[in-house]
Order: sequence, then structure tokens, then C-alpha cells
Amino acid sequence: MSGPDLLVLHALRCVGTAGLTRLAATTGLGEPDVESELIDLAVAGLVTRNADFGVWSLTGSGRAAHAQRIAAELESAAARPAVAAAFDGFLVLNPELLDLCTAWQLRSADGVMIANDHRDPSYDARVLDRFADFDRRAAAVCAELASALPRFGRYQTRLAEALGRATAGKWEELADSTSSYHVVWAELHEDLLVTLGIPR
Amino acid sequence: MRWIRHLSAELDETAEVLGGKAHGLVVLHRLGLPVPAGFVVTTEACRAFLRDGRLPGGLDEELAAAITGFDVVSVRSGAAVSMPGMMNTILNLELTSAAAARTAVEAVFSSWNTPRARTYRELHDIPHDLGTAAIVQTMVFGNRDDHSGTGVAFSRDPNRGANVPFGEVLFGQQGDDVVSGSSPTLPLRDLADREPVVWAGLLDALSRVEAHYRDACYVEFTFQSGELWLLQVRPGGFAGAAAVRVAADLADEGVIDRHEALLRISPHHLRHVRTPRIAPGEDVVARGLGACPGVATGRVATTADTAVRMAVDGPVVLVRQETSPHDMRGLAAATGILTARGGPASHAAVVARAMGKPAVVGVADLVVADASAVVGGRTISEGTLVTIDGTSGEVVLGSPRVVTTTADEPLRRLLRWADDVSGDHSERDEADRLSAAHAVLRR
Repeated sequence: MSGPDLLVLHALRCVGTAGLTRLAATTGLGEPDVESELIDLAVAGLVTRNADFGVWSLTGSGRAAHAQRIAAELESAAARPAVAAAFDGFLVLNPELLDLCTAWQLRSADGVMIANDHRDPSYDARVLDRFADFDRRAAAVCAELASALPRFGRYQTRLAEALGRATAGKWEELADSTSSYHVVWAELHEDLLVTLGIPR
Repeated sequence: MRWIRHLSAELDETAEVLGGKAHGLVVLHRLGLPVPAGFVVTTEACRAFLRDGRLPGGLDEELAAAITGFDVVSVRSGAAVSMPGMMNTILNLELTSAAAARTAVEAVFSSWNTPRARTYRELHDIPHDLGTAAIVQTMVFGNRDDHSGTGVAFSRDPNRGANVPFGEVLFGQQGDDVVSGSSPTLPLRDLADREPVVWAGLLDALSRVEAHYRDACYVEFTFQSGELWLLQVRPGGFAGAAAVRVAADLADEGVIDRHEALLRISPHHLRHVRTPRIAPGEDVVARGLGACPGVATGRVATTADTAVRMAVDGPVVLVRQETSPHDMRGLAAATGILTARGGPASHAAVVARAMGKPAVVGVADLVVADASAVVGGRTISEGTLVTIDGTSGEVVLGSPRVVTTTADEPLRRLLRWADDVSGDHSERDEADRLSAAHAVLRR
């Protein structure tokens, strides 16, 4: 299991410079817990806080320490083959998710792409339905990842929550808000690249 | 043969049977244009495959006969309805046996039913039982020698609609390098100097396909050892101001009449006429895909952190190779977004539309390095003022003149014809003027 300090360190590596709210959402820890981990990491010289914007980021040594610890985590759990296999599954799904986000934002009318004004409930229902279908297949990939490294379980929860909020009428939770399905998916993409040590 | 047709000028079947791509190849044959030899396994064979889970009886024998004389081939999908990038393409297949052909055709047919393709059809109202054809064609090699290459060409400029050929060319490489955007391309015009015979052949082909379809066209081509080959043709597909200009010009050239010009433009094309655009004639340093309409002028920032810092003092354009979750704060702080990689469904494009910010993605000749970027061969440092046009995908240094399409002469011409048809010359919205004419013409 990854300790909370590694979770916070890893979250900062995956999302870049971020505030407490975003880091809490990513790690699943409470904001006070995130903050106390950050303070300890700052004492160790691994993270630094920008007082002007109230955001945190990794230092050079934080990046190095992260790379070493995340690689050790992967090797000690003997999880590399399983994570790599799940990443292949992710890459098959990725273009479809981007198609779905695009279909939510734009639609074709007389062969012209126009902004989806959400005045056609049947079209929106169709896209939502495809998101739900997609999520079932995404959940299978997330489950593979979680059984290899438990910290990946957080993504399945966050994706399902975003879809739930969207289905309940908060449409911006599909492709548009900072807690949207698309944003969580992009974080998972980054996490997989970072975990496997694959450069962008 | 029941399931296979040889591609030739004499082939007389619909796009429903042959698929749109093969149907276009037949048109090219009829126009006397050079098309690599090939045959098509029909959509009917695909439907049988989808229904029964195996290729139809008799196809093996037909394939064994059809492959005689073929050596290295491509096997491409092509449905009656365009589904770009959704299905498999197999290149450089050595056709040593009917079994190799069979395996490739099965792979193309199977790719009809990937979850992504199914999702695409659900979203675009395309029936799941339509099926795709599989086109088997002799490979031509754009990477053969110094006089080989590949490209895409429009008979008119798809950004503005002007009656000049437009496109991209890659010397010494294969076709998929252009479509995938993996290599920086050169302007089509470079062909004229380096391969004048190919260029003359291409101009001739563009004028013949345009005359046939009576519309602006798109072709994919390869030249091998100085010899031109056409691989695909598609009419139309222009949007916005370019569509308006092409329709109005074709009417003035006498190719179509004014009523047809009006009917070719959907009121949806006019939805963005009040969206600002970079004025024509500005010095465009690079061009990508417009991903979210509108013009943004700002100082270049190459990381999310500098974008946030610089945005305190004024508008910023975030310039990135591609975007990742690291860029969310920078995207939020920026006025506009410019990326080297990615298409209309990339992370950057999705986020830009979510935030309603002008964005240009997929600028092939953009390289972002530490605190600077190279755009179209020019190095620009962080802080340089740039302007991007999220409709046309144009990138201009400094702050150019900005106009709206309502000032566009072809649009005014077309709308005058619309008012003549409807008999209503009152002051109204552009889309309303066009819709009124459509109502009369469709009565």
C-alpha cells in the first residue's frame, strides 16, 4: 500500500502545480490531511508552496525522490506487467472517450459541426447512454489496475461519481468542469505514463 | 464474381455496394485519371460476415482468382457513409497467397464492430448493419526515391474558399505520415518547383474532379518515381465562409445556378458569421486546426505556471506541444490555446471548448522548447505577442486586423440572391435571410 505521503507526492507529480482542493479530490484524503502531508514534504525539501497563488509544486529533489519511490512501489508489488497490460486497454479506450467528449460539445448539423446547445434531449440522452456504456468498459480497466496497485482504485470511484453527477443533471461533469469525467480520465492517463515511466 | 468487383471505369455500382471510397476511385477511373490497380470486396460480403461470423462461402475462391498479378498491396476500409479513422487499414501487405488476403479482409471487416466504431455510429445515426467494403490496391510508394512523395490537395482553399489549389506535401514519405500529422509537411505549392510534371498532373486532376462533382474537392495522392497516382477523392466538406465563397463563385462561374448555390449553404454555416476572424492578407506564420472559434491575442507562455504568472499583467496565449492535466491552471488563465499536436478531439480541444476559449491545435511546424517556441521556422520567445484564429487555425505574430464574416463580399452576394428568392429585403439576421430563401426553393 502507498502511504499518504507518497499519495500526495504522486498527485502533485501527476496534476502539476495544485491547491489543496484539487489534491484532496485526486488522493481521496481530507484537505487537512493533505496539508499536513505537504508540510512534512516541504520540511524534507520535496515540495514548495507559492504563497501568491496558494498552490504547491514539486521541487527538483521532490521529482527525483518521487521517481525513485514510485518505481520502487511498482517493482515491490511486481505490478509492472499488469499495469502495462491495463495501459494497453486504456489506449484502446482513450480515443473513444475523446470522441464522446467532443460529441457532447459539438454535433453535426447538415454536415457542419456546431456547438451542442443541449436543446435536443434525445441527442443528449444518446451521448449520456454511450458514456454509461463506455464507463462499464473503463471500470474493467480500472479494476485491473486497482488489483495491481490499490491506489488506482480511486479513479474508478471518481469516474463513477462524475458520471453520476452528470446523469443527475449536472452536465458540466462530463467534459467541461475541473471535476469532470474528462479531467479525471486525463489524470489517469498522466498517472499511467508517470507510473510506467513513459515520457509524453 | 459475387463478392468482388475489379475497380475500373466500366464498373457500374452504387456507393451502397462499393462503399464511398471505392465509388470515388471508379469516378477517377472514368475521368481517365491514374489510380493504382485494385479490387473491392463489397459491403454485402461484410454484412454476411457480420451476420454469420465468417466470410461468405465462395469468397476464398474469388480472392484466389482476384489476387493474380498483385504483389504488395494496401487493404483499406470504406463504408457507404464516411467514418474517418474508425476502422483498420493494412499497408505493405505482401499478397503471397489467398490466405493473406483473407486475413486482411477479415481484419478490416471485424474493425467495423470495435466499441469505438459502434459509439461513433450511435452518435451519428449510422445503422450498425451497413457494413464496410474492403479495398485491395497495389501499393504505390511515396518513399521510393528522390522523386517520390505524398500529399493531400483541395481544389480550392478550404479556409477562405479562394479558387486556388491548397494542401500539403511530404517528399520521400508514405501517405499515412501526412494524415497522422507525424511529420511536418510542406505547402502543396512546393511541388510546382520540385516535380513540375506531377504538379501539372495534379492541377489537371483537380480541375477534372471539380468539373465532375461541380463542387470543390479533396484528393489524396502519391507520386512514385515522378509518376502521379490518386488514392482518394471526396467532394465538398467545406464549412463557414469558405463554403459560402465556393458556392457563390461556382454560381458566378456558371457551374451551378444561384438556387443550387443557396441550397448548398445550410443556415448552420452562417452561425459563426459574427465570430471575429483574422482579416485576409495578414502574414500567417503557421496553420493548424481551428478547435474553438474566435480570435485571441496575447503574449506567449510556454508552461502553465508562466501562463498563470503572466496573466496577472494581461492576456496570455498558452503555447504547448500538447496539453496534459498539468496544464489545467494554465488553460484556465490563458486567453487562447495553441498546440503542436492533437486534432479536434484532443485534450486541449475538449478543454478549450469547455472554457469557450479560441484554440488552434495540431500545428505541425510548431516546436515548443524551454521558454520559447519555433513556429513556421521563426523562433519566438516567451512574452512575444501572437494572435490565433480558432476558426481558420491561423497563427499570426503581433496583433493583426480582425474582421467578422458579415463584411465578407461573397456572403453579401449570396444573401442578395436569397432576398431575391424570398422577395423579403428587410433587415434581418443572415441565417433568417437564407432560411427564407430555402423555404421558397423547397416549396
